[in-house]
Amino acid sequence: MRYDALVIGSGIGGMESALKLADMGYQVLVVEKEASVGGKMILLSKVFPTLDCASCISTPKMAATVHHPNITVLTHAEVTGIRRDGADRFQARILAKPRFVDTAACTGCRQCEMSCTVAVPDQFNADMVARRAAYIAFPQAVPKKAIIERAGTSPCTGECPAGIKAHGYVALVRAGRPEQAFNLVLEATPLVGSLGRACYAPCEGTCTRGELEGSVPIRRLKRFVADAHYATGQPPSVPVAESTGRRVAVVGSGPAGLTAAWQLALRGHQVKVFESAPRPGGMLRLGIPAYRLPNAVVDDDIANLTALGVEIATNTRIDNLAALRAGGFDAVLLAAGTHAPGRLRVPGEDLPGAVSALAFLRSAKLGRATTAAVAAPADVVAGTAPDGQTTMTDGVDVCGQRVAVIGGGNVAIDTARTALRLGAAEVHLVSLESREQMPAHDWEVTEALAEGIVAHPGWGVRRCRGAERVTGVALRRCTAVLDATGRFAPQFDDTDTIDLPCEVVIAAVGMAADTADFAASLPTNRNGTIAVDPGTLQTRLGYVFAAGDVVTGPSMITEAVGQGRRAAFMIDRWLSGHELDPVAFDDRLPVVDRQAVLSRQADHSRRGPLPPPAVPGHAPDDFAELEPPIAPQEVRSATARCLDCGVCSECHECVSACPADAIDLGMRAEEIDAEIGTVVLSTGFRLFAADAKPQYGYGRFANVITGMQMDRLLAPTRPYHTVLRPSDGKVPDRIAYVLCTGSRDQTVGNPLCSKICCMYSIKQNQLIMGTLPLADVAVHYIDVRTVGKGYDEFFEQAKGMGAEFVKGRVAHIDETDEGNLVLTYEDIDHGGGLATAEYDLVVLAVGVQPNPEVAALFGGLDLGLDEHYYVEEVNEDLDPGRTTIPGVYVAGAASGARDIPESILHAGAAVTQAAAHLERQRQPQRSAQQERTRVPA
Amino acid sequence: MSATTRDVREIIRDEQVMRAPILAALADGPLTIPDLATAIGHPTREVVFWVMGMRKYGHLTELKGADDEGYFRYQAVERREPA
Repeated sequence: MRYDALVIGSGIGGMESALKLADMGYQVLVVEKEASVGGKMILLSKVFPTLDCASCISTPKMAATVHHPNITVLTHAEVTGIRRDGADRFQARILAKPRFVDTAACTGCRQCEMSCTVAVPDQFNADMVARRAAYIAFPQAVPKKAIIERAGTSPCTGECPAGIKAHGYVALVRAGRPEQAFNLVLEATPLVGSLGRACYAPCEGTCTRGELEGSVPIRRLKRFVADAHYATGQPPSVPVAESTGRRVAVVGSGPAGLTAAWQLALRGHQVKVFESAPRPGGMLRLGIPAYRLPNAVVDDDIANLTALGVEIATNTRIDNLAALRAGGFDAVLLAAGTHAPGRLRVPGEDLPGAVSALAFLRSAKLGRATTAAVAAPADVVAGTAPDGQTTMTDGVDVCGQRVAVIGGGNVAIDTARTALRLGAAEVHLVSLESREQMPAHDWEVTEALAEGIVAHPGWGVRRCRGAERVTGVALRRCTAVLDATGRFAPQFDDTDTIDLPCEVVIAAVGMAADTADFAASLPTNRNGTIAVDPGTLQTRLGYVFAAGDVVTGPSMITEAVGQGRRAAFMIDRWLSGHELDPVAFDDRLPVVDRQAVLSRQADHSRRGPLPPPAVPGHAPDDFAELEPPIAPQEVRSATARCLDCGVCSECHECVSACPADAIDLGMRAEEIDAEIGTVVLSTGFRLFAADAKPQYGYGRFANVITGMQMDRLLAPTRPYHTVLRPSDGKVPDRIAYVLCTGSRDQTVGNPLCSKICCMYSIKQNQLIMGTLPLADVAVHYIDVRTVGKGYDEFFEQAKGMGAEFVKGRVAHIDETDEGNLVLTYEDIDHGGGLATAEYDLVVLAVGVQPNPEVAALFGGLDLGLDEHYYVEEVNEDLDPGRTTIPGVYVAGAASGARDIPESILHAGAAVTQAAAHLERQRQPQRSAQQERTRVPA
Repeated sequence: MSATTRDVREIIRDEQVMRAPILAALADGPLTIPDLATAIGHPTREVVFWVMGMRKYGHLTELKGADDEGYFRYQAVERREPA
């Protein structure tokens, strides 16, 4: 892109500069970091001394700037660097930050803002009220387009292998919208209830709140929304695409298969799931005990799928992929899991009484391994009375028996606790690892031990004893589990042995993919898993994809869900003839830095996390769910602890609410290079940070505010409905102004007069007396400087209206119990002694400060700053606007404190020089001659 | 009075969870901010943030005219929540 002029900043100086250059016929690029042009002026109530409405004056200029045919405006963009390009021209690099809203489609209706679930301070109202993460900057914004504030992906969402918008559903629950939270999880997977109970919640491990007093209970909130939805008995309310006429077969109904089937059905494909077991659900149904995941919850989750028309064929084992293809399926997804049990590989493991954990858990979960003493798990879940019948399948009945479970992982823990619930007399847990090294989650081990399971850490099985059936296990000391490279290679001390008598041995020593049926047609890895392209999950057979544990080996539920989502995405693209692009699948922004999140606040109040569920103190005799649901009153405190790390929660409410379909969360930042003839710096000023004068109490005392905050309270688009005290919403009776806060003050490093503070305070005095006729206004000042046409008359007018002017510095401000403020000041007019006065509200007339970051934009070029760090003008008396870099000019308050008329005048001077520079470029010969004949000042 | 105030960002973030208790407190009629603060058990300064945020987004509105002590009363607004 090529422009004659680059104007940085769009306050009154920038707009004036751009308009004048554009009116001269130059092509102008305006870059504004905020979402709207207008700078600070548009936020003011009125201007002095005319008391004209600031909005009425600003908005025509704002609209003219944006709509001028010779001006291109980039809002929400920043110039990141400027370098010289040849003798006279420049190259500028601009970062156009994403708005996440299609501005061409956005109508400015604010529906996104009204539906947004994240509240943050409104910087355009001086942090006195909330705005939303999705917002329009202010009512007069130009362009009046929405923008979504996104700092990045929240850690919880970024950590979820399933791609579930964890922050989003937490924010929805916080906003009192559990049904929408349920639907948000459904965008990823139908297994809301199962994940709400059985997920190991990696999101919570990375929750920023964990840096304070403990993470948000994200998983239990998911269970809350699932329970709330399922209690309604209603089918899921999700948008489903029109039928594509394509058929997809999914082999396996575990987390990966069910998720893929769901995603494919949402995309309009006809899906049929084939499951070899009698009931669908895979490990959810067959592996996870009912005290952690009741069958009824799995049924509810699966009903989401069938509500969409997905067929599930159980007791159907698939061993011929070509037959599926020939049967009319356009694509096949293999998601058969890892249902082949690992073996101990010791003598005696095939004796009666020895069984694999997978077979044992499967029987227990399907309700086939029961005892005379306890109910079948399915019955417990269904809430019916125990049937009291004894059945025994898979060759093992643990009731009254001594059981040895071999293994140290989560499956081993599940097995041991299940055996206990089935009436085992003793349950022993034998693991190679020490207690600390056991792969099972520590809290699960703790709970298991509390239930009465006896751990034998650091032992390996040498053999299963017995002749016709198991009578015990011979153990030997395990001296090391891993070798020096971290590979599993256990070492034993055969001189250190014990015998553990038992009638049942259950081996929980791993799981493997059972892919022998497909080995002839599909390449497999050494461990039996299916070989796929890791990005696309496509196999060598183009129409066959594979996902879940059958690809990765045993994994967490969420990882399998994520695989299922990815596979469905790729299958859909393959069916529709699109390129299989792994990058297109995951559109998450980079995860925000947790320390950066914490540093947004000066401090964080501690909010107690939910207490963990009580550890059972006795051996349970049924499969009742252990973890209680989160109580309604706990939901509020739990969700209030969320820190909104990514700011936008990705709850997608704005997407649903936008009538123009303008929300585009896939937008990304764009770098733009522009060739520029001249640069006009109109970056304005910063307001003095009032808390740098701690004796005045700003930030500590609610009723001490700044002049800009008072201007907002007086503006038509104010944060409140009138001027009120921030501490309690009371109409103030007595209001004090403290002039020269941060100006003419060596203690804060600013000896300069800010020029505007006296006048804006006098303006506010008059406006307050108009708004609150009964209020008393006092101004504590050193000098009142009213230099300008009509300014002194304006001052006298304020005094005539009743404003009291008290000469003398304010020493400090103290707060009373009622929130009133006691000023201690030097009373020069009455002898110079110390005096005190009490007010309802105090306004600090803060001064202005330079914006020195602008100098960093010029790599290799030396942009001079003056001794006060304003942009230096080479000769501000005779050559206003000219900086130390030829071709770069400064307009308005970037070079020193100026009020609005002065900024406009100064901008005129600067652009005149900029135009001359451009003309010299166009006529180089003449220009060179002019330079030679130029008379120095 | 304000010495133990929380960070503004944290107070404002709580608007989402405080909406329901505030609307419940207003169910029996309009209240001033000090009355609301008593009803929901939170400091008046925090209630100002929540009331003004809810007012901005159409959940409640002020009644005309302050009382003798200088406080306005606020009432809930019938509002259709996003579907």
